[in-house]
Amino acid sequence: MASQPPVLPATSSQSLSLFERQLKAQRRDKRLSTLVSLGLFLIVLAWSIEVSGFAPSVLLAGLPRFGEYIHLTLPTLSLENLLANTDTKGSIPYWFFNFRHYVVLLFQTINMAILATLVSFVLGAALSFPASRNLAPNRLTYLLARRGLEIARSVPDLVWALLFVWAFGIGPLAGIVAIIVHSTGALGKLFSEINENIPMSPLEGIRATGASWFQEMRYAVLPQVMPLFLSNVLWRFESNIRQSSVIGFVGGGGIGEELYLVIVRNYYEEVSALVLLIVLTVTCIDLLSAHVRHGLIGKERLA
Amino acid sequence: MSASPMATIDPATRDLAAVLAAYPEVFKQAKLRRRQRTAILLVIAAYLLFAAWFFDITPYRLFGGLGNMGIVIRSMVVWKNVATWDYASLFQGMIETIAMAFLGTLLASLLAFPFTFLAARNIVKPVLPRHAARRFLDLMRGVDQLVWALVFVRAVGLGPLAGVLALIASSIGDLGKVYSESVEDIDQKPIEGVRSTGASRAQELRFGLLPQVLPVLLSQTLYMFEHNVRSATVLGIVGAGGIGLQLSERIRVQYWDQACFIIILIVVTVALIDLFAAFVRHRFIGKPVAARF
Amino acid sequence: MLILESLGKQFDGRAAVDRVTLRVARGQMLGVIGRSGAGKSTLLRMINRLVDPTSGLIRHDDRLVSALKGRELMRWRAACAMIFQQFNLVGRLDVVTNVMLGRLNRHGFLGSMAGAFSAAERAVALQALDRLGIAQTALQRAETLSGGQQQRVAIARALLQEPEILLADEPIASLDPRSSKLVMDALRRINRDDKITVIVNLHDLDIARAYCDRIVGLANGSVVFNGAPEDLDSQALETIYGHDVETGSLLDEPRRPTDFRVWAAA
Ligand SMILES: Nc1ncnc2c1ncn2[C@@H]1O[C@H](COP(=O)(O)OP(=O)(O)OP(=O)(O)O)[C@@H](O)[C@H]1O
Ligand SMILES: [Mg+2]
Repeated sequence: MASQPPVLPATSSQSLSLFERQLKAQRRDKRLSTLVSLGLFLIVLAWSIEVSGFAPSVLLAGLPRFGEYIHLTLPTLSLENLLANTDTKGSIPYWFFNFRHYVVLLFQTINMAILATLVSFVLGAALSFPASRNLAPNRLTYLLARRGLEIARSVPDLVWALLFVWAFGIGPLAGIVAIIVHSTGALGKLFSEINENIPMSPLEGIRATGASWFQEMRYAVLPQVMPLFLSNVLWRFESNIRQSSVIGFVGGGGIGEELYLVIVRNYYEEVSALVLLIVLTVTCIDLLSAHVRHGLIGKERLA
Repeated sequence: MSASPMATIDPATRDLAAVLAAYPEVFKQAKLRRRQRTAILLVIAAYLLFAAWFFDITPYRLFGGLGNMGIVIRSMVVWKNVATWDYASLFQGMIETIAMAFLGTLLASLLAFPFTFLAARNIVKPVLPRHAARRFLDLMRGVDQLVWALVFVRAVGLGPLAGVLALIASSIGDLGKVYSESVEDIDQKPIEGVRSTGASRAQELRFGLLPQVLPVLLSQTLYMFEHNVRSATVLGIVGAGGIGLQLSERIRVQYWDQACFIIILIVVTVALIDLFAAFVRHRFIGKPVAARF
Repeated sequence: MLILESLGKQFDGRAAVDRVTLRVARGQMLGVIGRSGAGKSTLLRMINRLVDPTSGLIRHDDRLVSALKGRELMRWRAACAMIFQQFNLVGRLDVVTNVMLGRLNRHGFLGSMAGAFSAAERAVALQALDRLGIAQTALQRAETLSGGQQQRVAIARALLQEPEILLADEPIASLDPRSSKLVMDALRRINRDDKITVIVNLHDLDIARAYCDRIVGLANGSVVFNGAPEDLDSQALETIYGHDVETGSLLDEPRRPTDFRVWAAA
């Protein structure tokens, strides 16, 4: 839209008509680009409906089946037997008859997430320094660290798990390593962005005392970025909890394995029991971590 | 406070005791800090030991696994029989993935739009409907996308349709949450301005609120799309369409070179989608919002 | 004895420092003056090797400083302490830790990563702070201190390096007059009592005259004056600062009047 500025009109009426002409041209341009965008959008929409087989007929046939499915998973509870023992139909203990087993699995899942978060925090923090443009000791280490983190991050953890299950065998170890790799990438990238925004003068001050690169990172960078690292790692922990609860779908251990089994074997009531338990746990941990995070930020503001 | 002149600060000649006596609290604090640090390190070390025991992580298993991983990586970089690979189905899978993400995000954003207002504190004053809306969103978000996918596969059968439905289900929760939060963050003045002209409540929202939040909502929808492209790549692993099916099949039969090709395809596609979204955001929205997914 | 031989630094083909040859005797307090952009900071940063020279040599006694690398270079930096106009402390660490950072060069990798400073080092740090009159701030975060206090923390850190030379790049440019005097007094006391060579960039001519044994004037990266403070006459000042300076302590380019004219025209 290269609309020329009016060149000093002779009379005001002339200038007015020039203004109107330009306005019209501008509107025409705008309308055209809107139309083109809209057209493109509709084409992509039609194409994606075609590709994904999202036909209304299939959908209409499928949705009632989904409702049916949900209905099947819901437990049959009766009010009078609600708190009876595990052998009585209609009671909560009957619904959650496998509760002990679930709790063990939940405990395993949470520990998978804690361990993976701990290790990936250390690895991600360590790699974030060479992966920051302003801190890297030289261009080669920068590129290596940066590309490495990007690859680790952009491969989903479920895909990592597929590979590691082959390497480590089925079980939690494969899942833990998969989550470690992916979240090291995610945290390293995030941390390096934090690193790239710090003031550089303390580094220079430390370098001038004859300190090494590692000492510069330890004493001039780490104290500046640590609070931000910590609040971000909590956020990562929340998402690692979610991941570790489904990584069992591909053999990575944790409660996901059980969930996968009960879904494919159509143990309907156990599906709802497990999902409910997982959602509750995840929500509790989210709340807890949000609380801690606010505490961290609050402390930061006061100091 | 004695300003004692120090001819030299050679460690041998200093009078440590005198400084200690003059500033005891500095040394006390140093000791405290050292204790704290040791305590934290001990807790972490103890936890690591516990975890190693609990998950039976031994150096033998660890290095054995990493050794196997070395084998995998070695066979990933040597590409054999490249001409015979079934490229058509690979690219078909990738295209299906993008289409699923597009459709899922679009429909989820339409379905989540009412929650923009329903779950926002400054629009819906009564507690009950707002809380109901929020709990519903929390539930949708709380169930993982992969669980939704598996459930929809049981309900509507294998294929991309189940994937789209799974993306819709979990994106409604995410989008509804960030939509309503962005409404809560807005500036009240334009709304008051519209109200002062004697507008109705609906008109207030339409002319005072919507122009403010629409760019933000669009931008967040774009972020959701980027996110959904990433997650749609794995839905195929449980049979819900997209490239994930191809990938898990190749891995099952240990065609590591083809698996590597698919992973590269995924990484490149995701990067291109991110670039495209950044372009759209820059060109049509122009209002920077932080990503929340 | 610190010797600069035909030392030069080019940025994008433009000389910031141009063939500077200079001898600084041990224990001297040398002032460097010159208008903004004359190359004062670049000169000092080359001596500490924060900036690599593009030509010429730096020698100190029998060390060829301009050729040092790796550990040797770090050891030189430790022997050649530097303080900055913006203090360059680590604001989030407490004062006494900031001071102890002056000892990093003497610590190994593992010890310094673990943050293990000895009680003896803490005592020396406190002594240095005490000597500069700010030991009571030892446990505060450095960023909560006033500018003058922060600069004295930086001096204390430099002292912990047990340097042979102390470089100061406009140490009082962001301080009020009272703090300026405290800082300059401290520098001179260190120079006199500890026999540490001090090279200080200054923009205040009166202060340079009052504190320095010898003054070097830079213009466009070259040395245009090198002599005793009392030889700094109006003719010498004109060669250093150019024509728009008539009297002693009116310095750099008259920035504000220029800006004002721009506003007035707009
Ligand atoms: N990192 C750099 N990159 C490019 N040019 C630089 C750099 N550092 C300094 N210069 C240039 O070198 C010249 C000398 O700068 P220097 O900072 O040494 O001057 P100065 O005398 O300290 O000035 P001031 O009194 O403003 O601090 C200036 O023209 C400056 O623009
Ligand atoms: Mg300067």
